[in-house]
Amino acid sequence: MSPKATLGNDREGSRSRPTLGIDTEELASCVSCGLCLPHCPTFRVTGEEWASPRGRISAMREVQDNGAAVDAAFLSSMDSCVQCRGCEPACPSGVPFGSMMEATQAELARRRRFDWRRWGFRVLGHSWLLNLMSRMLAVAQRLRLVPSKRLGLPPIPLAQGRLRATGDDVWLFTGCVMDAWQRSTHAAVKRVVEAAGAGVALPGTGAGCCGALSLHAGLEDHARSLAVRTMKALEGSAPILVDSAGCGAALKEYGKHLGTPEAAAFSERVLDVNEWLAAQADRLPAGGERGQDITVAVHDPCHLRHVQRAHQPVADVLSRYATVVALDDEGLCCGAGGAYAAMQPDLAASIRDRKLEAIKRSGADIVVSANPGCTIHLANAGVTVRHPLEIVDEAIDHDG
Amino acid sequence: MKFRKADPLVEDLRRVLPLDRIRVAPLERSLMGRDASIFEGGQAGPVCFPIDTGEVQGCVDTARRHGRAVVPRGAGTGLAGGAVPLEEPVVVVTTKMNRLLSVDADSRVAWVQPGMINLDLSRATAPYGLHFAPDPSSQQVCSLGGNVGTNAGGPHCLAHGVTSAHVLAVEVVLMSGEAVVLGDPDGWAPGMDLRGAYVGSEGMMGITTAIAVRLTPDPPAVQTLLLAFDSVDAAAQTVSAVIADGIVPAAIEMMDNNIIRAVEAYVGAGFPTDAAAVVIVEVDGLPGGVAEEADRVVELATARGASVRRAVDEQERALLWKGRKSAFGAIARIKPNYYLHDTVVPRTRLAEVMNRVYEIVEEHDLQVMNVFHAGDGNLHPMLLFDRREPGIMPRVHAAGAAIIEASLAVGGVLSGEHGIGMEKRDFMPLMFSEADLDAQARLRRAFDPGGMANPSKVLPTGASCADVNALDKVPDGVWG
Repeated sequence: MSPKATLGNDREGSRSRPTLGIDTEELASCVSCGLCLPHCPTFRVTGEEWASPRGRISAMREVQDNGAAVDAAFLSSMDSCVQCRGCEPACPSGVPFGSMMEATQAELARRRRFDWRRWGFRVLGHSWLLNLMSRMLAVAQRLRLVPSKRLGLPPIPLAQGRLRATGDDVWLFTGCVMDAWQRSTHAAVKRVVEAAGAGVALPGTGAGCCGALSLHAGLEDHARSLAVRTMKALEGSAPILVDSAGCGAALKEYGKHLGTPEAAAFSERVLDVNEWLAAQADRLPAGGERGQDITVAVHDPCHLRHVQRAHQPVADVLSRYATVVALDDEGLCCGAGGAYAAMQPDLAASIRDRKLEAIKRSGADIVVSANPGCTIHLANAGVTVRHPLEIVDEAIDHDG
Repeated sequence: MKFRKADPLVEDLRRVLPLDRIRVAPLERSLMGRDASIFEGGQAGPVCFPIDTGEVQGCVDTARRHGRAVVPRGAGTGLAGGAVPLEEPVVVVTTKMNRLLSVDADSRVAWVQPGMINLDLSRATAPYGLHFAPDPSSQQVCSLGGNVGTNAGGPHCLAHGVTSAHVLAVEVVLMSGEAVVLGDPDGWAPGMDLRGAYVGSEGMMGITTAIAVRLTPDPPAVQTLLLAFDSVDAAAQTVSAVIADGIVPAAIEMMDNNIIRAVEAYVGAGFPTDAAAVVIVEVDGLPGGVAEEADRVVELATARGASVRRAVDEQERALLWKGRKSAFGAIARIKPNYYLHDTVVPRTRLAEVMNRVYEIVEEHDLQVMNVFHAGDGNLHPMLLFDRREPGIMPRVHAAGAAIIEASLAVGGVLSGEHGIGMEKRDFMPLMFSEADLDAQARLRRAFDPGGMANPSKVLPTGASCADVNALDKVPDGVWG
C-alpha cells in the first residue's frame, strides 16, 4: 500500500449503489460483541481494533454509511486482512465477513489506477506461460539470481513428470501454481485416490487458476472468467476432488459468486480430496506399521476449516497411517493467505510465529497442511511441511 | 499514518511511546468510540498502546500535564459503555500488555498484565490443573483488566464468587502518575481493604497495570444437565427449589425460547427449540457428591415437568456452554441492535419479574430475549431493535427504564456484573440516595482528586459539587 494512497470518493456519483457495494443488511448485521476478535490472526498479533473483524466492519460502516473518506488508515485496515475467514465460524450471528471484504476489495480495485496483481494474476490463467516462467525461475534459483527466502519462494523443480488420466470416476483439479511448482503432490494424491479404486480424470490445460487470488484482490471480472473456464473444463457429473484447500473453497463458492444454477450444481460436485477419501474409508488399503512411528501435527488451512468447514476428514484419513496430533490454537491462521505473505510480509511473519509456537508445543516430527500456500509459508520458517496424502501415499507404497 | 505534528499532546506522547504505538488517524480514533454496548459515537483523542507499567505512567503523566482525561480500554467488550471516551481523552489500550508475568502453582497465585485475555489465563494454567474461576460469557476475548474494572461475573461465579473474590492484589497507576500496589498476593494486606474498593471502580480510580489473581483447582468431576421446561414459571421455580434444597451448583443458567432458537441456529447443540425455557445446571466436585447432587437436581426438575438431558462427554458439555456463551452475539440473527440490562432480583421473585418484563416489552411493542444467571437472580433481558427504524429509540429507553423500575421495586439492584458505565449512570439515583452517591464520589476523589480517570461514568451529574468534569448530559448522538 502506498502511504499517500488516498483515493477519491464516489467514482460515478451514483446514489443508488452503496459506496463500497456492500449489502446494507449484511453490513448492519454485526452487533459488535467482539467474539470474533481472538479468532482473527491480525488482531491476535496487534491487539488493535483496526486489525480486527469488528473494527473492519465498523470502518466499512464509517465509509459506506457515514461518508468517511477512503484514506490510508482505511486501506491499511482492509489490506491487512488475511481473508482467512476465521471470524465467520466464531460469529454467533453468522455475519458474512468474507463477502463484505470481497465487495470492499472489489471497490478498492476499481479505484486503484495501477495494481500489479491485475497483470500478475493474468499469468495464472495460462498454464503454458506459468510453466515456462516457473522453469526460468527454477534455473534462476539454481544460479542464485533470486532472493527466494526474502520473496517467500519454495525451491521450484527444474522439470516435472506428466500426470496421466486413468479413468473418469472422479476429476482431480490441478490448478495453477500448485501444478507448476508441486506437481509431485498431485501425483501422490492421484495414487492414493486410485488406491481407493477410482479412475482419475484430469482437466489438462483446460483449467488453470480457480480465480481465488483474483477474487481476494478484488479483481472480480478476472475471477469470474476463470471460474467459467474452470467449470467448462470439468464438465459432467463426476465428483471434483481438490487437494488445495484454497482452490477447493473457491470452487465450492462458484455457485454463490456466479449466481447461476449451473455454477451452483458445479459447486455441489466439489469435495476436498480428504472428504472424499474419508467417505471411502473401507476401500482404502491398510498402511504398514512403520507409519505409526512418526507423529504428525495437522495444520488446518483456513479455507478448509473456516470456509469449507471440512477439516476433520484430514485427520480421519491420516490417522489410519500415522500418529496424528492436533494443534492447540483453534485453527488460527498461519499467515500465508494466498498472496498475503508477499503483500504483508511483516504481519504474515508475526502470525506465523504464533503458529510455530503451537507446532513446537505439539511435539510433532512433521507438519501436514492440505493447502500449498500454508506449506510454502511454513516451510520458509524451516518447518518440514507436507501434504497429508503424501504421508498416506508413502505408507501405502511401502507395504505395496 | 498521517501524523498531526501540530498537536503538542501527541508530540509529548511520542516521548514516552514509539510512534507506531500511538494512533491518531480519524478512523483509528473513531473505532475506539464504542464498545459492545448500545453506545456509538464516543470521541477518542490519541490512542496509546503501552506495553508495561512505566509506559502507562508516561501516558498518564503526559495527559495530566495537558489537562486531558484518561480512559482505559481492554478488549472493548464492555456492555455498559464504561470504555466509551467522551471529549477526546487519551485512550490507553491494554491489549499489548497481555503477558502472564508469573505463576506460583503451590500458592495458586498468578501475576498477569491487564490485557491478558481471561480464557488465555485459564489455558496457560491448565497444565497445573488450575483455572481462573470468573468466566464471563465473553471470556474468550475479554481482558482481565476489564474484569477487574467491572468486577465481572460469569456462570461459574454462583459457587465461586465474582472477580473480587479472585483478585488478591492490583498494581494501579494513579492519575498522579504514581504506581501503587493495593492488596497483597499472600492475602493479608494490612490496613483498609483498598483492593476491595478498587475492584469494580470502572477505571475511575486509575489504570490497572498488573493483577495478582487467585487460581482455582479444576474440579475432579463435572456433570452438566440441560433441563427443558414448558413454562418460564416452572423453570424459575426449579431454580429456587434447587438452592432451597441446599445445593449450590457451580452454575445455573436460564435461556428463554427466543434465545434458544437464536443460539441453536448457531451451535446446533440440540437445544429444544420448542421449550419455553431451558436451564443449564452444572454441578462439580468429588465424583460421589457430583452424582448425588445431579440426581437430586433431576428429581426436583422432573417434579416440575422438566425433560432432562445429561451431557455425556466433555465435547457435549462444551457445546452446551458454547451455546449459552454465544447468546449476546447471536442477536443479529433477529435484529441488528440490542440494549442489554443486568438487574439482579431476589431468586424467589424471578418468575414474577420475568413475567413483568414480557408485559413491559409487549406494551412498548418490542422484542426481548432472556438469558441469565438464574442461580444469582441476575437477569439479562435484551431488548432487540433496529436503530434505523424511525422512532424506535424512545420506546427502547422507556422499556429499559420500566424494566429497571420493576426490578428495583421487588428489592433488586441495578447491575449484577456488567457495571454502570454510561448506560446505567442516570439510573443510579433510583437506587441510591444523594448521601450514598456523595459518599461514592468522595471515595473516588480520594484516588483521583481531579476526576481525570474515566470521567462522566457511573456517578450521575451532580453526585458531588466537586465533580467539575462531569458533563451535563451524555452528548448528542452518543445514545443512538
